[in-house]
Amino acid sequence: MNAPLPSPQVPRLLADRIPLDGTGAVDAVRQREVVAALKIFLPEHCVLWREEDTRPYECDGLTMYRQLPMIVALPETEEQVARIARTCFEMLVPIVPRGAGTGLSGGALPHGQGVLLSLAKFNRILKIDPLACTAVVQPGVRNLAISDAVAHLGLYYAPDPSSQIACTIGGNIAENSGGVHCLKYGLTLHNVLRVRGVTVDGQIIEVGSEAFDSPGLDLLALVVGSEGMLLITTEATVKLLPKPLFQQVVMASFDDVGKGGDAVAAVIAAGIIPGGMEMMDKAATAAVEPFVKAGYDLDAATILLVESDGTLEEVAEEIAQIESVLAAHGATRLETSQSDLERQRFWAGRKAAFPAVGRVSPDYYCMDGTIPRKRVGEVLKAIGVMESKYGLRCANVFHAGDGNLHPLIMFDSNDADSAMRAEQFGFEILELSIAVGGTVTGEHGVGVEKIHQMCQQFDSATLESFFAVKRAFDPVGLLNPGKAIPTLTRCAEYGKMHVKGGQLAFPDLPRF
Amino acid sequence: MNAPAPHHVLRKPLPAEFIDALTTTFGARLSTADAVREHHGRDESPYPPMPPDAVIFVRTTEEISVVVNACMRYRVPLIPFGVGSSLEGHLLAVQGGVSVDLSQMNKVLAVNPEDLTVTVQAGVTRKQLNQEIRDTGFFFPIDPGADATIGGMTATGASGTNAVRYGTMRENVVGMTVVTGEGKVVRTGGRAKKSSAGYDLTRLFVGSEGTLGVITEITLRIYPQPEAVSAASCSFPTVEDAVKTTIATIQMGIPIARCELLDAMTVKAVNARDKLGLPEMPLLLFEFHGSPTGVAEQAKLVEEIAKEHGAAAFEWATRPEDRTRLWEARHNAYFACLQLKPGSRSFTTDVCVPISRLAECIAETIRDTEQSFLPAPILGHVGDGNFHCAILADPSKPEELAEAERLNQLIVARAIAMNGTCTGEHGVGMHKMDFLRDEHGDDALDLMARIKRAFDPLDILNPGKVVRI
Repeated sequence: MNAPLPSPQVPRLLADRIPLDGTGAVDAVRQREVVAALKIFLPEHCVLWREEDTRPYECDGLTMYRQLPMIVALPETEEQVARIARTCFEMLVPIVPRGAGTGLSGGALPHGQGVLLSLAKFNRILKIDPLACTAVVQPGVRNLAISDAVAHLGLYYAPDPSSQIACTIGGNIAENSGGVHCLKYGLTLHNVLRVRGVTVDGQIIEVGSEAFDSPGLDLLALVVGSEGMLLITTEATVKLLPKPLFQQVVMASFDDVGKGGDAVAAVIAAGIIPGGMEMMDKAATAAVEPFVKAGYDLDAATILLVESDGTLEEVAEEIAQIESVLAAHGATRLETSQSDLERQRFWAGRKAAFPAVGRVSPDYYCMDGTIPRKRVGEVLKAIGVMESKYGLRCANVFHAGDGNLHPLIMFDSNDADSAMRAEQFGFEILELSIAVGGTVTGEHGVGVEKIHQMCQQFDSATLESFFAVKRAFDPVGLLNPGKAIPTLTRCAEYGKMHVKGGQLAFPDLPRF
Repeated sequence: MNAPAPHHVLRKPLPAEFIDALTTTFGARLSTADAVREHHGRDESPYPPMPPDAVIFVRTTEEISVVVNACMRYRVPLIPFGVGSSLEGHLLAVQGGVSVDLSQMNKVLAVNPEDLTVTVQAGVTRKQLNQEIRDTGFFFPIDPGADATIGGMTATGASGTNAVRYGTMRENVVGMTVVTGEGKVVRTGGRAKKSSAGYDLTRLFVGSEGTLGVITEITLRIYPQPEAVSAASCSFPTVEDAVKTTIATIQMGIPIARCELLDAMTVKAVNARDKLGLPEMPLLLFEFHGSPTGVAEQAKLVEEIAKEHGAAAFEWATRPEDRTRLWEARHNAYFACLQLKPGSRSFTTDVCVPISRLAECIAETIRDTEQSFLPAPILGHVGDGNFHCAILADPSKPEELAEAERLNQLIVARAIAMNGTCTGEHGVGMHKMDFLRDEHGDDALDLMARIKRAFDPLDILNPGKVVRI
């Protein structure tokens, strides 16, 4: 067995030597050393270090941030992953794990002095158990590939992030991804039973269990959503669900965004958990309709799509209930899909909303704040006010049932001023989300993008609990440094800029 | 079973200054009376009582902070206490110390129908909660046998008969307030439905059995009361047929609310106690929740599946009183089984396996128990792959104790070999600490120990439970 992790006193000193932000040029001498150490056990084609080879890995789905990694490693076996981890641990080299690179918060942004560890070659489905309704998959398997592989059994994998055609299950685990249907069927955490992975010092552990429950501390819940900072996933058991027998969707128009928001809260308060409940405002439908021809009501201030799934009778009953709640809350028009084709047409616009907005604006910035449903109407109104404040348009497309907003702020990256305003606009939305009792990210993760807002969302006692968890898994701080969880020092620096109600954040910390 | 170390070895008397300091704050709410200590030193496990040195009845989160700070200063163990209904020795004071009784923190703080959540103090019991929110049209589903406190249920990751539909505490706790082993107050989760910001501390504390922090307030998911409820019982020629029916039902995506298996011996015990006159064959009990037509449709589908597996016709219980009688019988099955062998206690296993292995696992378990001289009726939440084997042994007879322990080891080892777990819902406590290593391996267990140390560096929170430091 490998040597145990160093005692907690040593790492604090070591950690100072690992630059958190990982920016800057690659150190060629260091690079040669680490490449040589990796090539001892990795074949030639699994280690990339020339700039033309590493360039494609410089960013993930959040393209505003770019950084060239020192080395890209493409292991083919779990044993190789473990040896990479062990080697990096001994040489104090940071590791950034990467799946398909579709993440929207910069979670896979490389570290300039680190190894980018791509799990792209782990792309096999190892086992399907149709009786237990589970599948054992490698982390590089695409989200949609799981559903495709079990479709003939009448099963599917429920979490469906919009990027499901490309994003991988390992990345979904790292970010705790959601999707349209997570309102009813839960996030990645609720659909993963077991994760096997490599720790920072190269040990292989399993968390969770293929049985219904697992005793002891719930390490699985820590690993899912940890953004590659605790464990490098090498295998996972996911839950499969039977495909609903029947689905139908109601499309409702509202002449006021506030009313639409209140109707969302009313549906849930009536005790209905729809299969999906999505909202698009006028700016979004206007962008989508010419492109998809979904038949959206372009006069409406906002439209709501509410889906019901289950057996024929259940759906008929639930749809009737949904229609009456929506009508009672001021829906100006109601339309219910009469065929599966029509249902898909209603959804097509929603699914194409991001690319459609991309067509009408050179760039857009997608936010992910999530708020209590009760506050949806009021927050949408506030975003409207911000549009005029920053002189930018914003299309709102979002998972209304969860209160998960995805405002798409439209800007032009060739115009530095508009880019800066877009960023400020986004931050203001995130801060408003926290102020109404919500969170900065519902499903995209923190990464590098929202790290400052973490200081506002969490107090120092909570952040210290996060550090405690991180230290238990990774005392030296080598796994994906500088992401997701800000240091208190970073918060203190950020606090300088954000004095709220005359109160400085983290007043007990030294400033510089 | 791990015999606990004789407690005089580990116990140190409480420092007088510690008692003095806390008496100033708590007055009569700090008790060292024998009866009070005795009451706080035992649960429903077969262990002999191990009373704490003092009991403090707290009323606020801040008061708990005060106690934790005093415990840190004087290195005194602290054990949170709800109503004492745990099953695995969770709250025995193996190293002495103080028991922090949260039963006076019993207020429902907020009900938020639009968010489908309710926030309660830790001492609220599950029945009290449902009583208080009944008029809102919502309910909280999780129903372990005892009327446990929400704090205790959270700490042990409790479950119940309808987990197949509504999940366990892990799925239903969305946030909480916790006092850590360093006396800090941490609020986890938020009002938002989902969040991918930061590590999931909420789920870390659920099931941590008081070893990482004292849980003082909890935000839970609530559900609309179903419009219609119906229950049915159905007999099968073999346990395997019953289990296969369950698997097929779940595979079809029929949202059954409850699905419980009683083997022939359990049915016999229940008949003897509750005069139900059920056929003495393996039995499934179903409950359906939903709209009136939805419920009828679900039931029809399940009945068809059951018939394909050789079942007799469904016996319906649509009137609430019939339903109550049926489920009371299920909830009392444990006591009914005890009467099969007067003078015995039950050594109850709690294994849980992937549902695809369940039929095989139960069949092999029955083969073992049939060859044993001890009766061991089986009952289970089969929809979750979780079943209990109530091994009935007379604690005064060493040969019976040895046989009970042999069967227990056999059943647990088989479940773990089938990728299952030694405990589906009762928790680890002291009883299952050693199985944890078999199940998770050394490295994962070391990781748990490091997390324990990170949250409770002085090892004052419920020491000697779950993980060894």
